[in-house]
Amino acid sequence: MTEPTRGLSAEKINSLLADTSPYLSCDDCFARIDEYVERSIADPGHEDPAMKAHLAGCGACAEEAETLRELLSASS
Amino acid sequence: MTTVNPTTPDVVPPPSDDTWLTDLRDDGSAGEQALGRLRELLLRATRHQVWRLRDLLPGAGAGELEDLAQQSANDALIAVLRQLGTFEGRSRFTTWAYKFGILHAGVAVRRQAWRHREVPLPDTLNLVDTGPTPDAVSEASQLARAVEASIASELTPHQRRVVLALLVEEVPIDVLADRLGSTRNALYKTLHDARHRLRTALIDSGLLEIRPDRRTP
Repeated sequence: MTEPTRGLSAEKINSLLADTSPYLSCDDCFARIDEYVERSIADPGHEDPAMKAHLAGCGACAEEAETLRELLSASS
Repeated sequence: MTTVNPTTPDVVPPPSDDTWLTDLRDDGSAGEQALGRLRELLLRATRHQVWRLRDLLPGAGAGELEDLAQQSANDALIAVLRQLGTFEGRSRFTTWAYKFGILHAGVAVRRQAWRHREVPLPDTLNLVDTGPTPDAVSEASQLARAVEASIASELTPHQRRVVLALLVEEVPIDVLADRLGSTRNALYKTLHDARHRLRTALIDSGLLEIRPDRRTP
């Protein structure tokens, strides 16, 4: 038995209804994340729809991408 | 007497990707030195990630955080060496290696944070009625009710548990994977499919608009 939820915040509703297509697995995201972050830093307009959708829908991968971006920015 | 070559740079240039790969496969001193450089590189990544996530471990002191970073760097080093043959040069080698450090440190911090916590696995979402509300809030409340109803009617029991644990209870995906004997990959696929079902139900009921860029192929 869980306590009743006080209400879904707008952030949680957005997360529940996130459009994560085209589908990309976490393993595939990990395989591409280094290239994606490097390219995004070199070209802020770089587009990769599958990576963008995955990072919008997976908090752990998004957090890792942000850390990688920070590391690369700090060492450049 | 020593002589100084005026053309000698003050700073040793970083190894090229080819140098990294050649040295890491060397059985001699070049290999040992490369392993040391790689571990330092990974430690930079794990320290950065542990420090970034330190709020998840409010009781941890500097020593515990450093231990996590060091252990994560060891784990990442093993992972990098195992995966060395898969490096294709699509990014710099150092960027490729960093991601292993970041992954292992993130998993370690989240596991530590949830080590003594119960992982909630609700199978229903019970919203508390907050009473009369202004129109804008009422619309949001209507959407929340519709989401709640769709979670109950459109999702399988497994999808419901995964969605509620990850997105409502905010259990980290790798922690939930550990507790369910599953994988991050499998849980994300469940989440992806569940979101698709929820979106479809709400679009069909007119409560959610199709994104303009999805109307045409």
